[in-house]
Amino acid sequence: MLVQIAWRNIWRNKIRSLVIIIAVILGLWGGIFSDAFMQGMAEQQVYSSIHTETGHLQLNAPGFLLNHDMQLRIGDADSVVEQINRLPETEAAAATIQITAMASTASSSTGIIVNGIAPDTYAKVSDISKLMVNGDYFKNDRKNMVVVGQQLADKLRVKLHSRIVLTLQTVTGDIIYGAFKIEGIYRTHNSEFDKQMIYVQKDDLQSLVGFPSGAASLVRVLLQKDDDTKEVAEKLRSQFPAEQVQTWIELSPMQQVLSGTMTQMTIIFVGIILIALAFGIVNTMLMAVMDRTREIGMLLSIGMRPSKVFGMIVLETVFLSLTGAVVGILISIGTIYWFGKSGINLSMIAQGANAMGYNSVVYPALGAGFYFQLAIMVVVVAIIAGLIPARRAIRLKPAEAVRGD
Amino acid sequence: MPVIEVKQLKKTYNETMVPVHALNGVDLTFEKGEFTAIVGPSGCGKTTLLNMMGGLDRPTSGIVTIENDDITNMKAGELVDFRLNNIGFIFQSYNLIPVLTVKENIEFIMELQHRNRKEMEDRVRYLLEVMGLSDKINVRPRYLSGGQQQRVAVARALASKPKFILADEPTANLDSKSTDILLDLMAELNQKENVTFVFSTHDQRVMDKARRIITLEDGKVISDIKQVKSNEARHS
Repeated sequence: MLVQIAWRNIWRNKIRSLVIIIAVILGLWGGIFSDAFMQGMAEQQVYSSIHTETGHLQLNAPGFLLNHDMQLRIGDADSVVEQINRLPETEAAAATIQITAMASTASSSTGIIVNGIAPDTYAKVSDISKLMVNGDYFKNDRKNMVVVGQQLADKLRVKLHSRIVLTLQTVTGDIIYGAFKIEGIYRTHNSEFDKQMIYVQKDDLQSLVGFPSGAASLVRVLLQKDDDTKEVAEKLRSQFPAEQVQTWIELSPMQQVLSGTMTQMTIIFVGIILIALAFGIVNTMLMAVMDRTREIGMLLSIGMRPSKVFGMIVLETVFLSLTGAVVGILISIGTIYWFGKSGINLSMIAQGANAMGYNSVVYPALGAGFYFQLAIMVVVVAIIAGLIPARRAIRLKPAEAVRGD
Repeated sequence: MPVIEVKQLKKTYNETMVPVHALNGVDLTFEKGEFTAIVGPSGCGKTTLLNMMGGLDRPTSGIVTIENDDITNMKAGELVDFRLNNIGFIFQSYNLIPVLTVKENIEFIMELQHRNRKEMEDRVRYLLEVMGLSDKINVRPRYLSGGQQQRVAVARALASKPKFILADEPTANLDSKSTDILLDLMAELNQKENVTFVFSTHDQRVMDKARRIITLEDGKVISDIKQVKSNEARHS
């Protein structure tokens, strides 16, 4: 009957209870939704990074990433790709020649990284082919075609079909020039990436700089599942001990740091909201206890143990908080589901978001585990918030309380 | 054996500042089945005496024994259980639980005693029948008149099968008709169940129904009169 009494007591003063319930609903909805928003941003950033920049894993000769030295290469890259493709966890693998160069036009020049790729194979490990905003992704088999980022095109003031001149070093150390025609312009969520990375056909680059046939600067690997990354990395390390094998986390440690920071920030954010709500709950329950001094005095007088009175007040606090929490969580699930499908367009601030590596359309997302954690947090906060009014209730002296003194 | 025995009971409030001597050495015994009214002017110590007899407050000195159990020296936890199983309380303001129905209000105390459901339901039906409230079994207190609420409170007090019932000004908030009904019912239950009733009251109608009237003044018993049916009085 205690449960029944506690539940019904919540609705004795409907307005007072509804005020705090609505506060809990709004507080939690705000907290959960902003958490989902930030998680969505972080997950999209990681997804985009893996699918456009790094892949899940990358193999290269040790030291290559320090200065892109052409002498540091994977000799039999084709064989490495073949072996990696045989692993059950592999989605696709592609060998790439990567060389630093200078891109010039009549009006401007800038440092860039040239990626020599086999377009069809590379399209399996990277989404660049799907991110074309102008022109095509190596549709024609013509020689010396290049795909550049929108940011680079703007910087060099070139358009589709414009020519750019690449200044590169050959494997023998000579300087060589190559004129390339822009076949396509892509745009990722990361403007810095778009300014740096250009793509040419592997054969064109090989013949231009004299890169050995079958060799590559790096092999990029896309897996079927993110969770397999560490396990496959270990496999590849033992399979190719001469090469350096790095996961996307090792290649972009900042992303992991940012994602982790976001998770911590959201937990702190929700925690602060819950603490603020706890004060409101304490106040509401203290008022409830004061209003019911006579009744509590009666309960203590007729022989209800103080521990039961204490439990009843804590239970009421938990019910009050959980009512708001359940509704708040349900509304959050609904809105996150809705915006998870339609996305939240941040085009107003897209430039800033892109500069930071974030997508301009954010799809909020939150794991089911978070709701469970949150429900536990709410119950714990409610129990803590219930302690003060419950203590106040059992400290009442029955003889005085029953007369309303 | 007396149900309640009060020996040299003293209660002083504000001992360190301005002491108020609410009880000044009260000696009383109550036998089983008594129907007693404690009367006296406001501040004479009626409620304090009832609180001491009910174990709701501790005396400054003296003892209260209930069928040989000294409740003045019981530990707090023991006293709570003792009250639950031995003493029924009726309050001036009824003090029913507003979120429970009449049935649930009466059952509540039996639930605290861990009685079985069948026993609880039988007892509720019996008491409500005696109280003439069978048709209000599923009604919440706010839909009842003051008299009806106080009758539910009496049923609640009796539900736990206590050794005696303490009623602090039970008719103070009732009109004369409700008072008469309530007093008749309590008198009937006193006879039927042989339960000891002790009231504090200012109400002449309660005094008229009582078979013993104890008068307090300044925390002392100044008279203790037993009234026989014909209202003939004799001093004890």
